[in-house]
Amino acid sequence: MTDLVNTLTVSASGMQAQADRLRLVSENIANADTPGYRRKMTAFEEVVLGGARTGEVRSGPVQLDPTEQRRIHDPSHPLADASGHYDGSNVDLVVELADAREAQRSYEANLRMFDQARQMTRGLLDLLRR
Amino acid sequence: MDIKSSLAALNYAATRPATEPRPVPGGPAEGAAALARDFATTLAEGEATAKAALTGGADSLALVQALAETQLAVDTAVTVRDRVVEAYQEILRMPV
Repeated sequence: MTDLVNTLTVSASGMQAQADRLRLVSENIANADTPGYRRKMTAFEEVVLGGARTGEVRSGPVQLDPTEQRRIHDPSHPLADASGHYDGSNVDLVVELADAREAQRSYEANLRMFDQARQMTRGLLDLLRR
Repeated sequence: MDIKSSLAALNYAATRPATEPRPVPGGPAEGAAALARDFATTLAEGEATAKAALTGGADSLALVQALAETQLAVDTAVTVRDRVVEAYQEILRMPV
């Protein structure tokens, strides 16, 4: 029974991690046109408590995408240099959309696991109730 | 109070610990016993999370998780209580 309760905790940690990821994706999309913006990414990592892995996941520290920023030609822009170019963001909307969809699917999978663990526990208790 | 009844009460109190459940290490009852033991803790945590969520201090995800765990704990406690009461009633009926 504690395994099933642990499943709830692990699934909830997965959902939290995916929610963090989706927040970063939304920040990236919101800043897609911000000059000089670098895309934010996070790598998931296992939660280690007291030297033992708990099986939970969490999103790691936010990293900035080091790829080259787009050079945008717009001589009327206040940030434009002598050649009329300025640094845009390095956000690729297609990548962000794919990332968002992946976060959604993963969130749904964790939600299903959460629901299934709950149903299994209820089934066990129903057996006891008879 | 007369001395005999107080002696009887003392004896009764002394025999009560014999009816306490003894934990079986590694047995199948361990999980259920642990669940029943921290029933109050789970309930208190659930209430604290619900309060925090309503005042904006906690995530709705944490609320869902805490409520699910609280529901399971209460379900377990209620089921066990029902079984115990049922068994007690069966004894009181004194089938011979």
